[in-house]
Amino acid sequence: MGKVILDGVTKRYADVTAVNDMNLDIRDGEFVTLVGPSGCGKSTTLETIAGLTKPTEGTITIAEKEVTNLPPKDRGIAMVFQNIALFPHMDVYDNISFGLRLRDYPKEEIDRRVERASDIVQLEGMLERMPDEMSGGQRQRVAIARAIVREPEVFLMDEPLANLDAKLRVHMRTELQRLHKELDTTIIYVTHDQAEAMTMSDRIAIIDGGELQQIDPPLVCYNEPQNLFVAGFIGSPSMNFVEGEVTASGLSTPDFDVEFDPGQLSGVTPGDALTLGVRPEDVYLREKSENVSNPTQPIAARTDVLEPMGDEIFVYLLTGDADPTMEADDAMPQNQLLMSVDPSSDISEDTDVEVVLDRERAHLFDTETGDAISHSLEFAAVEPGPAGTEAEGDD
Amino acid sequence: MATESETEQGPLSRWVDSSIQNPEKVYRAMFYVATIFFLFTTLFPFYWLLVLALTPNDAIANFGFPPVPNGFNPGAFIEVFQQVPFHLYVFNSFVLGIVTTAVVLVLASLAGYVFGRLDFPGKAPLMLLILAVSYFPPAAFVIPLFRLFTGNVTLFGVAPPELFNTPFAMILPFSALFMPLSIFILSTFYGQIPDGLEDAARIEGTTRLGALFRVIVPLSAPGVATAGVLTFISVYNEFFFSFIMTTGEADQWAPLVWGILSYQGQYSELYNLMAAASIVGVLPVAIIVVVAQEKIVSGLTAGALKE
Amino acid sequence: MSTSTEDDVRDTRRSGPYVAVVRWMENLSDTQFAYLLLTPVLLLLALIAFWPLLSTFRMSLYADSLVGASALGEFVGLQNYVELLTGQRDVVLVRPFLDLNAPFRSALTVTLIFTAVSVFFETIVGFGQALVLDQEFRGRRWVRVAIILPWAVPIVIQGMIFFLLFQPNIGFLVEPLQNWGVFTATPLTNSVDSVIILVVADVWKTSAFMALIILAGLQSVDRSLYDVGRVAGASKFQQFKMITLPLVLPSVLVAMLFRTIGAMRVYGIIETVSGCNTVPSLSCLVVSTFRGSRMYGTSAAIAFITAALIGVVVSVYIVKYADTEEASG
Repeated sequence: MGKVILDGVTKRYADVTAVNDMNLDIRDGEFVTLVGPSGCGKSTTLETIAGLTKPTEGTITIAEKEVTNLPPKDRGIAMVFQNIALFPHMDVYDNISFGLRLRDYPKEEIDRRVERASDIVQLEGMLERMPDEMSGGQRQRVAIARAIVREPEVFLMDEPLANLDAKLRVHMRTELQRLHKELDTTIIYVTHDQAEAMTMSDRIAIIDGGELQQIDPPLVCYNEPQNLFVAGFIGSPSMNFVEGEVTASGLSTPDFDVEFDPGQLSGVTPGDALTLGVRPEDVYLREKSENVSNPTQPIAARTDVLEPMGDEIFVYLLTGDADPTMEADDAMPQNQLLMSVDPSSDISEDTDVEVVLDRERAHLFDTETGDAISHSLEFAAVEPGPAGTEAEGDD
Repeated sequence: MATESETEQGPLSRWVDSSIQNPEKVYRAMFYVATIFFLFTTLFPFYWLLVLALTPNDAIANFGFPPVPNGFNPGAFIEVFQQVPFHLYVFNSFVLGIVTTAVVLVLASLAGYVFGRLDFPGKAPLMLLILAVSYFPPAAFVIPLFRLFTGNVTLFGVAPPELFNTPFAMILPFSALFMPLSIFILSTFYGQIPDGLEDAARIEGTTRLGALFRVIVPLSAPGVATAGVLTFISVYNEFFFSFIMTTGEADQWAPLVWGILSYQGQYSELYNLMAAASIVGVLPVAIIVVVAQEKIVSGLTAGALKE
Repeated sequence: MSTSTEDDVRDTRRSGPYVAVVRWMENLSDTQFAYLLLTPVLLLLALIAFWPLLSTFRMSLYADSLVGASALGEFVGLQNYVELLTGQRDVVLVRPFLDLNAPFRSALTVTLIFTAVSVFFETIVGFGQALVLDQEFRGRRWVRVAIILPWAVPIVIQGMIFFLLFQPNIGFLVEPLQNWGVFTATPLTNSVDSVIILVVADVWKTSAFMALIILAGLQSVDRSLYDVGRVAGASKFQQFKMITLPLVLPSVLVAMLFRTIGAMRVYGIIETVSGCNTVPSLSCLVVSTFRGSRMYGTSAAIAFITAALIGVVVSVYIVKYADTEEASG
C-alpha cells in the first residue's frame, strides 16, 4: 500500500542544511501537500522521496519497503515536474509509454494502459503529436498521463501547475482532485501557493527553514496554527499580528488592550511577551459586530486604504495616533490592522472608526519562540504539543 | 541631385564623385574585391589539380597563366586506382575515421556528461589536464608509443600485442588526441539539457547511464553530430601517426596518407595521377564540408572559445 | 495491484549480477559516479598521452645506445639538453638542432621562423575572411564553404597540391618567380624557398580556422555599440578601429594561440612538399633521429624541448589574454 514514511530525514550540503530531521507519516491514498516559501526545503524533501537526492541521514519507507538506498526507478513512484519535462524528441504516445517500454511490458498491455491513461486526462486523439505542438495545459496532461500509466504506489508532484496561466491553474486544480478521487493513490504535492495547498489537500505539511512546522488538515492549519510562521503563511491575506506584554488582566499592546485571564494559561505570567494574532475576517466594525458573541473592547482606529475585492473589502486600519509607525526593516506599519468587511459596508478612507476583535477566534503566540499558546481568548490553553491537538474551550 | 554634369563626366570620375558623397559604395567595392580575391586564392589550387589530372601525363609542361589542360584525359581518374590500390587506402581511412569517431563519441559522452552535468571535487583541474593533452605535439608522445606498438616495451611485466601495422596503432592515438575537443563540445550541449528531463527519465525507470543515452544524448543530437563530423575529418586528415604507425601497405591498414605518398615515391613522374588521386581523396571531405558546414563552424568556434 | 512487485519480477528476469551492478552504480555519490565515468577516458589518456610523455622525459635523461640490444645508454642527466642547445650534438644529427649561421637549416630556428611568419599572415588573411563572412549577402553560404574547404583538405593532399604547384618541371609559377629573383631554379630543395612555400601552404589551409574564430568574435559584438558609434559621428573605419578591434582582440588571441601550437608541430606538410632534409622542423628532427638513427635519448630530448616550447608559448598567450580580458572587462 502507498504509505510513505520519512524518519529523521536530513539533507546537508557543504554549507547549508536543506532539510533537517523531517518526520512524515503519510497514509495510503492520502493527498498531502508540502508547502512553504521558496528555498524552505520542500522540493529537496520530495527529491529524497523520489530518490533523486540521497538523504544525509534518516530513512524513507514507501509501501512498507525501505527505499532509502534504492534508485528512483525501483521505488514504485511516478512524478510530475514543474517544468513538465516531456521528452521533446518523443511523441505523446512514446512519452506516456516510456516507463512501460523500459520495463519490457508487452505491446498490448502498453497500448491498453496508454489508452486508459490518456482517457483519464482527456488526451484522446493526440497520441501522435509532438510536445512542441501542444499547449501548456495539454503538455501538463501528458505529463500526468505519463505518471498514472505506471500505476505507481505514490505520485510525487513538484509544483506541477506553477508554469500554467492563472485560469488554467484553477481548472487543473479541480482536475487533479478528480484524478485523486478516481485513482485513490497517495499523492505528495509540493507547492509554494498556500491556496493550492488549502483547496486540494487532505493534509498540509508546512515547511520552513528545512523543518516541518505543522502537518494537519487544511482547516486545522487555518484555525489552529501551531506557530507564528504557520499562522502568517496560511491564509490570504495574512493574519494580523500585534506584539504586546501580558498584564494581570490580559495583553497590553502599544495602542490597545485585550482582556483575558492570564492565570488560566499555563506557563504564562505577567510580563511575558506575547503576540496577538487575528485574521482580517475576525476584525469587525463595532456597529456590525452584533453576531460576535464575545467581542473585545472597542479599539479606536482610522481607515487608511480600501481594497474592494468584489465579494469583500479589505480595509487597512491604523491604530493609535493614526500615523504609520515603521522601522527600517518592517514590511508594513506596526500599527496596521487589516479588516475584511462586507462589500455593502458604508466605509470610506481616512475616517475614524471603532473596531472589535472576535475573542473566540483570536490567537496568542509566544513572541520569543513563536509557538501557539491559545487559539481563543475564551479560554483555556492549548497544550503545546503534537499536531492536531484540539483546542479546548473553543466554544 | 541629378545634374547635367553627369553626362559630361566619364564613368570613372562619376563613380569617384558619388563614392566621396557616399562612402558606403567604397566599402561595398572593397568587399567585392576582397571576396573575389579570397574565392580565387582558396579555389585556385583545386583548379590546378583538375588541370593536371585532365592533362595527359606526357603533355604536362609549359603551362601559361592561367593554366588550362593540355588535352583531355579523364582516364586518369580510373588509372589512379589501377596503378596502386588507391580505393583501399581511402577505404582504410574511412574505417579508421568511423571507428575512431565511434570510440570518441562514446567516451566523450561519458566525460561530457560528467563535466557538463555533475559537480565534484577536482573537476576544474581534471578538465585542464585533459585539455593539456591537445596542446602537446604528437612528437612528444611518439617515441614510447612507437616502441610500445612495435613490441619493444613491456608494461607491468606483460608484453602487449604488437600493434604496429594494425588499425589499433592509429585508432588509439587518434582517439586520445581528438577526444578533448569532443569532450568540450559535448559537455556544453549536455549541460544545457534541463535537469527535469534527466530526473523524469530516472523516475520513469532508467538508470543514470540510461538517462544519458536515452534522453540526454538523443536531445543533444546536433552536438553529437558536430563532435562526430569534426573527429572524422580530423582522423581523415591526420598525417603524423598515419605516417609513422604503418609501413604503408594498403593491405595492412595504411590510410590515405600512404596512398598519396606512394605516387610521390614509386611513380615520381606520374603527375596527372598525383593530381587525380588528390582530387579523389579530397572529395569525401569536400562533401562533408558542403553538407555539414554549420556543424563544423559551430564546433570549431565552440571548442576554441570554450576556455 | 502493486506494480512494484510486478517490477521486481521483471527485474529478477534479468540476471542477478546485472541488477547488482546497476544498484551499485546508482548508489554512488556524484563524485564517485563522475570518476567512474571518467575512468575509460583517463585510462586511454594515461596510455596514449601521460605515460608516453613521462617516458619521453625519462628517455631524454639517458644517453643514446648506438651499439648493443638495449635502446638506452647510461643515465646522463641533462647532458642531452645541454649538448643540443650548445650545438655539440649537431654533428650526429641529420640537420643541426640550433645553428644561427644557417637559420633555415637548423631545427629550432626554422620552426620558430615558420611559426611566426605563418601565424602572422594567417591572422591577417583570417581577419579579412572573417570581415567578408560577417557581411550579409546572397551566396554567403557558398563563399563560406569555399573558405572552409582548404581547412578540410588532408595534410598529405595539401602537401601534394603545393608540391605540384612548385615542381619546376611542371609548375607555371617557378619560372616567372625565378626570373623575378624570388626563387631559385629548384625551390623544393632550397631551404629558404621551401619555407616560403610551406608558409603559403599553411596560410592557404589554416586561415579559415582563424577566420571562423574571429568571425564568432565579430558576431558576438553587440550591434547597438555601432549605433552608438554612428551617433557619435565615427566613420566606418573609426568604428572598426575603436569598437570592433578591441572587442574581438580576445578571440584573435585565442585563434593565434591555436595556430601557434599547430604551426610549431609542423611535420606532414614538410614531408610531402620538400622533405625533412630541406626544412628540418623540430618534429622532423624527432622522427629522423629515432626512426633513422635510433638515437632515443637525443630524440626524446628534442621532443621534450618542443613540448616545453609550446608550453611557454601557451603561457605567454594566457597571460596576454588575461590582460586583454581585464582591459575590456
